Amino acid sequence: MSSLASVLQHPAIWRGGDCAPEPAAVASGFPPLDAVLPGGGWPSCALTEILLAREGIGEITLTLPALARLQSQQRSVVWIAPPHVPYAPALAARGIDLERFLIVRCANAHDQLWAFEQALRAPECGAAFAWLATTDERVLRRLQIAAREGNTWGVLWRRPGQRASASAAPLRLALSKHEGRLAIRVLKRRGGEIAQPIVVNVA
Amino acid sequence: MLWICVLLPELPLEVFTRSQAAAAMRFAITTGGHHPRILIATEAARQCGIAAQQLVSAAYALTPDIVLRERDVDAEASALRGVATWLTQFTPTVSIGNDSCVLAEIGGSLRLFGGLRALLQQMRDGVRTLGYSVQMACAPTATAAQCFARAGHRQPAMRREDLARMLAPLPLACLPGEEEAIALLRRAGVTTFGQACQLPRDALVRRVGKSFVAMLDRARDLVPDPQTPFVPPAHYRGRLELPVPVTEVEALGFAVHRLVHELSGWLLGRGLGVCGLELSLEHEHYLHARSGAATSVPFALASPARDATHLTSVLRERLARVPLPAPVQSVVLASGITAPLAGRNLGLLPGDNELATVPLLDRLRARLGEDAVTCIAPLDDHRPERAWQHKTTSVGRERARAACTLPRGPRPVWLLAEPQPLGATFEDKPWILRDGPERIEAGWWDGGDIRRDYHVAESPRGEMLWIYRDSVYGPDGEWFLHGIFA
Repeated sequence: MSSLASVLQHPAIWRGGDCAPEPAAVASGFPPLDAVLPGGGWPSCALTEILLAREGIGEITLTLPALARLQSQQRSVVWIAPPHVPYAPALAARGIDLERFLIVRCANAHDQLWAFEQALRAPECGAAFAWLATTDERVLRRLQIAAREGNTWGVLWRRPGQRASASAAPLRLALSKHEGRLAIRVLKRRGGEIAQPIVVNVA
Repeated sequence: MLWICVLLPELPLEVFTRSQAAAAMRFAITTGGHHPRILIATEAARQCGIAAQQLVSAAYALTPDIVLRERDVDAEASALRGVATWLTQFTPTVSIGNDSCVLAEIGGSLRLFGGLRALLQQMRDGVRTLGYSVQMACAPTATAAQCFARAGHRQPAMRREDLARMLAPLPLACLPGEEEAIALLRRAGVTTFGQACQLPRDALVRRVGKSFVAMLDRARDLVPDPQTPFVPPAHYRGRLELPVPVTEVEALGFAVHRLVHELSGWLLGRGLGVCGLELSLEHEHYLHARSGAATSVPFALASPARDATHLTSVLRERLARVPLPAPVQSVVLASGITAPLAGRNLGLLPGDNELATVPLLDRLRARLGEDAVTCIAPLDDHRPERAWQHKTTSVGRERARAACTLPRGPRPVWLLAEPQPLGATFEDKPWILRDGPERIEAGWWDGGDIRRDYHVAESPRGEMLWIYRDSVYGPDGEWFLHGIFA
């Protein structure tokens, strides 16, 4: 049996349940989620799409441990066009370094996209979150390339209605509430499909 | 000692043309006075038959569309100071020589800049980026370096023993100044440096004066050859005249790039980084006199910077947002507050040197405006809407965060800008109060009096919300939504 295990270690052998190797990942802080994400965490140089029907189910809390971890590597976090005021005391209490936390607000959708791309390309920026209404697939592909080149975790928050359209993001998640806990459905990942949603307790 | 002479042969022309990329303009400089003659002309003008010493009337007859300007000696002097300032990044010993040249002693800088060849290449490229054509030569004495540069001598003279031999074939006209003595010797048939040195010394002193003979000695390093040191200014201020008034902001980018390159050399020479810049766009004179003010574009940087590409890209973005009330005649760049910035560190291994990039914050603020990019910070106040503040980040951000105590109770990630009355929606469906009440009662001293009972509530749709009951007017107040536990 030991010989079989060693044979399976060979890089040319690929099994159905395997995930593609992620170049770099940052642990989310939620072990059930890390177990299904390729590389064992949020992709730190790719675009992630998170679909969300309504706010207030713990979606930001799900990302905060990873953000704090990125900030501890002297990298900054940028939020572009957030839907409400990010509340400083709550973020500080959850370990976010507010000195490395930028909020960009601009009325023009074109400027928002530009700012998101700049943040993704910047090497000093560890994570960029954007709340944009874009559905253009070419724009998403461009953002994905920017995230890969800038080595930045980009998160695009979208409504589930936009799910049908094709997306260049290598990771797509849909969040919903399930019996008081947060249910995460992995719609797309580099690796096999997962039928069952992952349920985590974020509170 | 190894002196380098940076000669700018087309300086009278280039003080006007260097602010524009295209040299295809028909443009010439005149001597001024009652019978102005052409002093120097651009390549495009020379192809049309314009030559030095031509009368202005003849030039107009040849090419009616030629643009002529009178020679601006003050602008040339300040341009030379600009080049000297830029050269201080290579060596502290810089001096302004005669007839549009700058001298720099680089004997001690060779190793740092990777040898003479690399240093010369770096200087040549840099001076070209400043917008000047350049002839360079180096020699153990400053006077000899000037002679070699004027003669277009490419071979560097490194040893003082070779000096007399290498100087001998040069024409005497290469010597700086002393036109009368040189003319006198030419009439006597003495035209080269070697011939002049062979003449009997006492007789030569009697005929052409002591200073000329002293110069021959200084060039050959027989006597010391001191130079007046150039002191770089305490604040940078560069001015660039545009040959043609400009109405489009995009066209200014090139001129700004020239000035920023000069500024970067000044900063490097003084070991500083700049925290703020001011760009003034001076408008055409008649309009300028009427309105009385130039368009001023102040700009602050996130941290001290001196990289030319960084500063240029930031200023370009900033310029794109500036409306121009009138055509621009000249551009002035002045340094604001500066701060010490450590010199460049050479990498231990090849490829160690980090790629210089523009900080994200500077780029975002340059395009979107100072207010569009903010930080947040907690504040010491019990009232939730006053427990945080917007902060436009700037240099020397104070770290006052440790002094601020965070609230003990649950706080939501999203705060609504204004509390929303829940009204009837709260009455008819099953809401679950998960936590609370947390009584917050404060602000009687400044008029912002509140008395609220906060709860964490789960709405019928499963959202975790932060709601409160307003109790200022009694226990049965209205319910409000104030935050979202996202």
